[in-house]
Amino acid sequence: MKRSFLIVFTLFLATSIFANDFIGKFLKECVETDRPVSNVNIGNTMLNKMAANTSDEELKATFRELTSIRIITTESKSDSKYYFEKAKQLISSDFTDYLEVVSVNERRSKINILMKKIDEKNQDLILIALDDDNKLTIITVSGNIDFNSISKLSSSLRESNTEEPVSENETDKGN
Amino acid sequence: MNIERIHILLEKYWNCETSVSEEQELQEFYNFGDVPDDLQQLVPMFSYKQDQHAIALSDDFEKKLETSIRKADRKKQYITIKIFEPFLRIAASIILIAGIGVSVYFFARQNNQVFAETYNDPGAALEQATSALEKLSMALQTTEEASLKSLEQLDNLDLDWSEIDSLSSEIPLYNPDSNNNIESETL
Repeated sequence: MKRSFLIVFTLFLATSIFANDFIGKFLKECVETDRPVSNVNIGNTMLNKMAANTSDEELKATFRELTSIRIITTESKSDSKYYFEKAKQLISSDFTDYLEVVSVNERRSKINILMKKIDEKNQDLILIALDDDNKLTIITVSGNIDFNSISKLSSSLRESNTEEPVSENETDKGN
Repeated sequence: MNIERIHILLEKYWNCETSVSEEQELQEFYNFGDVPDDLQQLVPMFSYKQDQHAIALSDDFEKKLETSIRKADRKKQYITIKIFEPFLRIAASIILIAGIGVSVYFFARQNNQVFAETYNDPGAALEQATSALEKLSMALQTTEEASLKSLEQLDNLDLDWSEIDSLSSEIPLYNPDSNNNIESETL
Protein backbone atom coordinates (compact mmCIF):
# COMPACT_ATOMS: atom_id res chain seq x y z
CA MET A 1 0.00 0.00 0.00
CA LYS A 2 2.72 2.43 1.03
CA ARG A 3 4.86 1.43 -1.94
CA SER A 4 2.05 1.95 -4.41
CA PHE A 5 1.25 5.32 -2.85
CA LEU A 6 4.89 6.36 -3.19
CA ILE A 7 5.01 5.30 -6.84
CA VAL A 8 1.77 7.12 -7.68
CA PHE A 9 2.98 10.26 -5.93
CA THR A 10 6.30 10.21 -7.79
CA LEU A 11 4.54 9.74 -11.13
CA PHE A 12 2.20 12.60 -10.29
CA LEU A 13 5.19 14.82 -9.60
CA ALA A 14 6.83 13.79 -12.86
CA THR A 15 3.72 14.44 -14.94
CA SER A 16 3.12 17.76 -13.24
CA ILE A 17 6.57 18.89 -14.33
CA PHE A 18 6.26 17.70 -17.92
CA ALA A 19 2.70 18.87 -18.50
CA ASN A 20 3.27 22.59 -18.09
CA ASP A 21 4.83 23.38 -21.50
CA PHE A 22 2.39 24.38 -24.28
CA ILE A 23 4.43 22.96 -27.14
CA GLY A 24 4.99 19.69 -25.29
CA LYS A 25 1.31 19.34 -24.54
CA PHE A 26 0.34 20.32 -28.07
CA LEU A 27 2.67 17.70 -29.54
CA LYS A 28 1.36 15.09 -27.16
CA GLU A 29 -2.38 15.76 -27.32
CA CYS A 30 -3.14 17.52 -30.60
CA VAL A 31 -0.65 16.41 -33.24
CA GLU A 32 -1.74 13.45 -35.33
CA THR A 33 0.50 11.09 -37.24
CA ASP A 34 -1.27 11.71 -40.55
CA ARG A 35 -0.91 15.47 -40.08
CA PRO A 36 2.82 15.96 -39.49
CA VAL A 37 4.36 19.12 -38.11
CA SER A 38 7.90 20.45 -37.83
CA ASN A 39 9.22 21.08 -34.36
CA VAL A 40 12.35 22.99 -33.41
CA ASN A 41 13.52 23.34 -29.82
CA ILE A 42 16.22 25.75 -28.75
CA GLY A 43 17.18 25.74 -25.10
CA ASN A 44 19.20 27.92 -22.81
CA THR A 45 22.55 26.35 -23.63
CA MET A 46 22.12 26.84 -27.37
CA LEU A 47 20.84 30.39 -26.92
CA ASN A 48 23.98 31.30 -25.00
CA LYS A 49 26.14 29.77 -27.73
CA MET A 50 24.21 31.69 -30.38
CA ALA A 51 24.63 34.89 -28.41
CA ALA A 52 28.38 34.30 -28.36
CA ASN A 53 28.46 33.56 -32.11
CA THR A 54 26.36 36.43 -33.46
CA SER A 55 27.73 39.89 -34.20
CA ASP A 56 24.35 41.65 -33.98
CA GLU A 57 24.33 43.35 -30.58
CA GLU A 58 20.54 43.55 -30.31
CA LEU A 59 20.16 39.90 -31.19
CA LYS A 60 22.92 39.02 -28.76
CA ALA A 61 21.17 40.86 -25.93
CA THR A 62 17.84 39.22 -26.81
CA PHE A 63 19.31 35.72 -26.85
CA ARG A 64 20.99 36.24 -23.51
CA GLU A 65 17.70 37.24 -21.89
CA LEU A 66 15.75 34.26 -23.20
CA THR A 67 15.78 30.72 -21.80
CA SER A 68 14.02 28.82 -24.58
CA ILE A 69 12.45 29.15 -28.00
CA ARG A 70 10.22 26.37 -29.32
CA ILE A 71 8.63 26.39 -32.75
CA ILE A 72 5.98 24.33 -34.50
CA THR A 73 5.24 24.88 -38.16
CA THR A 74 3.21 23.15 -40.78
CA GLU A 75 3.14 23.74 -44.51
CA SER A 76 -0.20 22.12 -45.37
CA LYS A 77 -3.05 24.65 -45.52
CA SER A 78 -5.71 22.25 -44.27
CA ASP A 79 -3.51 21.04 -41.45
CA SER A 80 -2.68 24.64 -40.55
CA LYS A 81 -6.31 25.60 -40.08
CA TYR A 82 -7.01 22.39 -38.17
CA TYR A 83 -4.10 22.85 -35.82
CA PHE A 84 -4.84 26.57 -35.38
CA GLU A 85 -8.26 25.69 -33.95
CA LYS A 86 -6.76 22.87 -31.87
CA ALA A 87 -4.20 25.25 -30.41
CA LYS A 88 -6.87 27.75 -29.44
CA GLN A 89 -8.93 25.00 -27.83
CA LEU A 90 -5.92 23.78 -25.86
CA ILE A 91 -5.22 27.27 -24.58
CA SER A 92 -8.81 27.84 -23.51
CA SER A 93 -8.92 24.49 -21.70
CA ASP A 94 -5.48 23.98 -20.14
CA PHE A 95 -3.74 27.33 -20.24
CA THR A 96 -6.29 29.64 -18.71
CA ASP A 97 -3.60 31.29 -16.63
CA TYR A 98 -2.22 32.90 -19.78
CA LEU A 99 -3.53 36.38 -20.63
CA GLU A 100 -4.30 37.34 -24.19
CA VAL A 101 -2.02 40.24 -24.98
CA VAL A 102 -2.91 40.70 -28.63
CA SER A 103 -5.43 39.18 -30.98
CA VAL A 104 -5.81 40.02 -34.65
CA ASN A 105 -8.41 38.32 -36.79
CA GLU A 106 -8.25 39.54 -40.34
CA ARG A 107 -9.23 37.91 -43.57
CA ARG A 108 -5.72 36.93 -44.48
CA SER A 109 -4.01 36.58 -41.17
CA LYS A 110 -4.85 35.53 -37.66
CA ILE A 111 -2.56 36.24 -34.76
CA ASN A 112 -2.92 35.40 -31.09
CA ILE A 113 -0.28 36.35 -28.57
CA LEU A 114 -0.67 35.18 -24.97
CA MET A 115 1.56 35.77 -22.04
CA LYS A 116 2.10 34.61 -18.49
CA LYS A 117 4.26 36.39 -15.97
CA ILE A 118 6.13 33.97 -13.73
CA ASP A 119 8.22 36.55 -11.91
CA GLU A 120 9.95 39.88 -12.57
CA LYS A 121 12.50 38.40 -14.97
CA ASN A 122 10.60 35.44 -16.31
CA GLN A 123 7.69 35.37 -18.66
CA ASP A 124 6.19 32.80 -20.98
CA LEU A 125 4.85 33.87 -24.35
CA ILE A 126 2.80 31.87 -26.83
CA LEU A 127 2.34 33.06 -30.41
CA ILE A 128 -0.15 31.34 -32.69
CA ALA A 129 -0.17 32.77 -36.19
CA LEU A 130 -1.86 31.87 -39.45
CA ASP A 131 -0.25 33.96 -42.14
CA ASP A 132 -1.29 35.12 -45.63
CA ASP A 133 -0.34 31.79 -47.14
CA ASN A 134 -2.35 29.94 -44.44
CA LYS A 135 0.77 28.53 -42.90
CA LEU A 136 0.65 27.91 -39.20
CA THR A 137 3.40 29.00 -36.84
CA ILE A 138 3.33 28.36 -33.10
CA ILE A 139 6.18 29.87 -31.15
CA THR A 140 6.73 29.76 -27.41
CA VAL A 141 9.36 31.97 -25.88
CA SER A 142 10.48 31.87 -22.27
CA GLY A 143 12.71 34.25 -20.37
CA ASN A 144 12.98 37.98 -19.83
CA ILE A 145 10.86 39.12 -22.79
CA ASP A 146 11.15 42.73 -23.86
CA PHE A 147 8.45 43.51 -26.39
CA ASN A 148 10.11 46.75 -27.45
CA SER A 149 13.40 45.13 -28.37
CA ILE A 150 11.73 42.13 -30.02
CA SER A 151 9.42 44.31 -32.13
CA LYS A 152 12.44 46.22 -33.42
CA LEU A 153 14.30 43.03 -34.26
CA SER A 154 12.65 42.42 -37.62
CA SER A 155 13.68 45.82 -39.00
CA SER A 156 17.23 45.49 -37.69
CA LEU A 157 17.47 41.99 -39.14
CA ARG A 158 16.23 43.25 -42.48
CA GLU A 159 18.79 46.06 -42.38
CA SER A 160 21.59 43.67 -41.58
CA ASN A 161 20.51 41.43 -44.46
CA THR A 162 20.44 44.34 -46.95
CA GLU A 163 23.82 45.69 -45.76
CA GLU A 164 25.77 42.52 -46.58
CA PRO A 165 25.51 42.66 -50.41
CA VAL A 166 26.58 46.35 -50.36
CA SER A 167 29.72 45.50 -48.43
CA GLU A 168 30.56 42.73 -50.90
CA ASN A 169 30.36 45.20 -53.84
CA GLU A 170 32.64 47.63 -52.04
CA THR A 171 35.25 44.97 -51.53
CA ASP A 172 35.06 44.10 -55.24
CA LYS A 173 35.58 47.74 -56.17
CA GLY A 174 38.52 47.98 -53.87
CA ASN A 175 40.14 45.04 -55.64
CA MET B 1 40.79 -23.30 74.66
CA ASN B 2 39.09 -25.35 77.38
CA ILE B 3 36.47 -27.77 76.03
CA GLU B 4 34.38 -27.38 79.17
CA ARG B 5 34.39 -23.65 78.66
CA ILE B 6 33.17 -24.25 75.04
CA HIS B 7 30.32 -26.44 76.26
CA ILE B 8 29.26 -23.82 78.76
CA LEU B 9 29.35 -21.13 76.06
CA LEU B 10 27.35 -23.33 73.70
CA GLU B 11 24.73 -23.89 76.39
CA LYS B 12 24.46 -20.15 76.88
CA TYR B 13 24.42 -19.64 73.07
CA TRP B 14 21.40 -21.92 72.59
CA ASN B 15 19.63 -20.08 75.44
CA CYS B 16 20.50 -16.74 73.71
CA GLU B 17 22.40 -15.64 76.78
CA THR B 18 25.82 -15.16 75.24
CA SER B 19 27.45 -11.77 74.98
CA VAL B 20 29.21 -10.48 71.89
CA SER B 21 32.65 -11.35 73.24
CA GLU B 22 31.51 -14.86 74.17
CA GLU B 23 30.14 -15.39 70.63
CA GLN B 24 33.45 -14.18 69.27
CA GLU B 25 35.20 -16.72 71.46
CA LEU B 26 33.03 -19.48 69.96
CA GLN B 27 33.75 -18.26 66.43
CA GLU B 28 37.48 -18.16 67.05
CA PHE B 29 37.34 -21.66 68.47
CA TYR B 30 35.46 -23.08 65.48
CA ASN B 31 37.52 -21.16 62.86
CA PHE B 32 41.02 -21.46 64.26
CA GLY B 33 40.84 -23.95 67.09
CA ASP B 34 41.11 -27.73 67.28
CA VAL B 35 37.45 -28.79 67.12
CA PRO B 36 36.67 -32.21 68.60
CA ASP B 37 34.55 -34.68 66.69
CA ASP B 38 31.39 -34.25 68.78
CA LEU B 39 31.34 -30.51 68.04
CA GLN B 40 32.22 -30.75 64.29
CA GLN B 41 28.55 -30.51 63.26
CA LEU B 42 28.47 -26.83 64.39
CA VAL B 43 31.52 -25.79 62.32
CA PRO B 44 29.48 -24.61 59.25
CA MET B 45 27.25 -22.48 61.47
CA PHE B 46 30.04 -20.56 63.17
CA SER B 47 32.31 -20.34 60.09
CA TYR B 48 29.46 -18.91 57.96
CA LYS B 49 30.06 -15.40 59.24
CA GLN B 50 33.79 -15.69 58.65
CA ASP B 51 33.17 -16.84 55.07
CA GLN B 52 30.81 -13.95 54.43
CA HIS B 53 33.30 -11.47 55.83
CA ALA B 54 35.91 -12.92 53.47
CA ILE B 55 33.80 -12.01 50.47
CA ALA B 56 35.14 -8.75 48.99
CA LEU B 57 34.41 -6.74 45.87
CA SER B 58 36.53 -7.68 42.89
CA ASP B 59 38.80 -5.15 41.23
CA ASP B 60 36.58 -4.84 38.15
CA PHE B 61 33.37 -4.55 40.17
CA GLU B 62 32.80 -0.93 39.17
CA LYS B 63 33.24 -1.72 35.50
CA LYS B 64 30.80 -4.61 35.72
CA LEU B 65 28.30 -2.37 37.51
CA GLU B 66 28.52 0.36 34.85
CA THR B 67 28.15 -2.22 32.08
CA SER B 68 25.04 -3.71 33.60
CA ILE B 69 23.54 -0.23 34.13
CA ARG B 70 24.18 0.63 30.47
CA LYS B 71 22.59 -2.63 29.34
CA ALA B 72 19.52 -1.83 31.38
CA ASP B 73 19.30 1.66 29.83
CA ARG B 74 19.66 0.27 26.32
CA LYS B 75 16.87 -2.18 26.96
CA LYS B 76 14.66 0.73 27.96
CA GLN B 77 15.59 2.61 24.74
CA TYR B 78 14.87 -0.41 22.59
CA ILE B 79 11.51 -0.81 24.26
CA THR B 80 10.70 2.87 23.58
CA ILE B 81 11.78 2.60 19.95
CA LYS B 82 9.75 -0.55 19.41
CA ILE B 83 6.62 1.12 20.70
CA PHE B 84 7.00 4.11 18.39
CA GLU B 85 8.35 2.15 15.43
CA PRO B 86 5.20 2.37 13.24
CA PHE B 87 4.94 6.11 13.85
CA LEU B 88 8.63 6.57 13.12
CA ARG B 89 8.21 4.71 9.82
CA ILE B 90 5.26 6.85 8.81
CA ALA B 91 7.07 10.06 9.78
CA ALA B 92 10.19 9.00 7.86
CA SER B 93 8.10 8.19 4.77
CA ILE B 94 6.34 11.55 4.92
CA ILE B 95 9.61 13.42 5.35
CA LEU B 96 11.16 11.50 2.44
CA ILE B 97 8.24 12.19 0.11
CA ALA B 98 8.08 15.85 1.15
CA GLY B 99 11.83 16.21 0.64
CA ILE B 100 11.65 14.64 -2.81
CA GLY B 101 8.68 16.82 -3.75
CA VAL B 102 10.29 20.04 -2.57
CA SER B 103 13.61 19.32 -4.27
CA VAL B 104 11.91 18.32 -7.53
CA TYR B 105 9.77 21.49 -7.40
CA PHE B 106 12.76 23.79 -6.93
CA PHE B 107 14.81 21.93 -9.51
CA ALA B 108 12.02 22.18 -12.06
CA ARG B 109 11.49 25.83 -11.25
CA GLN B 110 15.15 26.63 -11.76
CA ASN B 111 15.61 24.63 -14.89
CA ASN B 112 12.28 24.16 -16.56
CA GLN B 113 13.77 22.63 -19.70
CA VAL B 114 12.36 19.18 -20.30
CA PHE B 115 12.76 18.99 -24.06
CA ALA B 116 15.60 17.81 -26.26
CA GLU B 117 17.51 20.43 -28.21
CA THR B 118 16.98 20.05 -31.94
CA TYR B 119 20.38 21.37 -33.03
CA ASN B 120 23.93 20.80 -31.86
CA ASP B 121 25.38 23.45 -34.15
CA PRO B 122 24.75 27.07 -33.04
CA GLY B 123 24.90 28.23 -36.65
CA ALA B 124 21.99 26.04 -37.69
CA ALA B 125 19.99 26.99 -34.60
CA LEU B 126 20.66 30.68 -35.20
CA GLU B 127 18.71 30.66 -38.45
CA GLN B 128 15.65 29.10 -36.86
CA ALA B 129 15.79 31.29 -33.77
CA THR B 130 16.21 34.42 -35.85
CA SER B 131 13.31 33.39 -38.06
CA ALA B 132 11.11 32.76 -35.02
CA LEU B 133 11.94 36.09 -33.43
CA GLU B 134 11.42 37.81 -36.75
CA LYS B 135 7.95 36.29 -37.03
CA LEU B 136 7.18 37.35 -33.48
CA SER B 137 8.42 40.81 -34.19
CA MET B 138 6.33 41.05 -37.36
CA ALA B 139 3.29 39.76 -35.47
CA LEU B 140 3.76 42.50 -32.89
CA GLN B 141 4.13 45.11 -35.59
CA THR B 142 1.05 43.77 -37.38
CA THR B 143 -1.00 44.02 -34.23
CA GLU B 144 0.31 47.51 -33.60
CA GLU B 145 -0.69 48.54 -37.11
CA ALA B 146 -4.10 46.95 -36.70
CA SER B 147 -4.65 48.84 -33.45
CA LEU B 148 -3.63 52.12 -35.05
CA LYS B 149 -5.90 51.39 -38.00
CA SER B 150 -8.82 50.74 -35.68
CA LEU B 151 -8.17 54.00 -33.86
CA GLU B 152 -7.96 55.81 -37.18
CA GLN B 153 -11.28 54.35 -38.27
CA LEU B 154 -12.85 55.46 -35.02
CA ASP B 155 -11.45 58.95 -35.57
CA ASN B 156 -12.87 58.97 -39.10
CA LEU B 157 -16.33 58.21 -37.77
CA ASP B 158 -16.27 61.73 -36.38
CA LEU B 159 -18.22 60.83 -33.27
CA ASP B 160 -19.25 63.33 -30.67
CA TRP B 161 -17.63 61.79 -27.62
CA SER B 162 -19.13 64.29 -25.23
CA GLU B 163 -22.62 63.27 -26.38
CA ILE B 164 -21.78 59.62 -25.82
CA ASP B 165 -20.49 60.45 -22.34
CA SER B 166 -23.70 62.26 -21.52
CA LEU B 167 -25.78 59.33 -22.79
CA SER B 168 -24.12 57.00 -20.32
CA SER B 169 -25.42 59.17 -17.47
CA GLU B 170 -29.06 58.83 -18.59
CA ILE B 171 -29.04 55.07 -18.93
CA PRO B 172 -31.08 53.60 -16.05
CA LEU B 173 -29.06 51.75 -13.48
CA TYR B 174 -29.96 48.11 -13.08
CA ASN B 175 -30.75 47.09 -9.52
CA PRO B 176 -30.94 43.31 -9.25
CA ASP B 177 -32.38 43.47 -5.72
CA SER B 178 -35.44 45.45 -6.50
CA ASN B 179 -38.58 43.80 -7.96
CA ASN B 180 -40.26 47.10 -8.89
CA ASN B 181 -39.65 49.29 -11.89
CA ILE B 182 -36.27 50.81 -11.96
CA GLU B 183 -36.00 54.58 -11.66
CA SER B 184 -33.60 56.41 -13.88
CA GLU B 185 -30.95 58.52 -12.33
CA THR B 186 -29.64 61.72 -13.86
CA LEU B 187 -26.39 63.25 -12.86
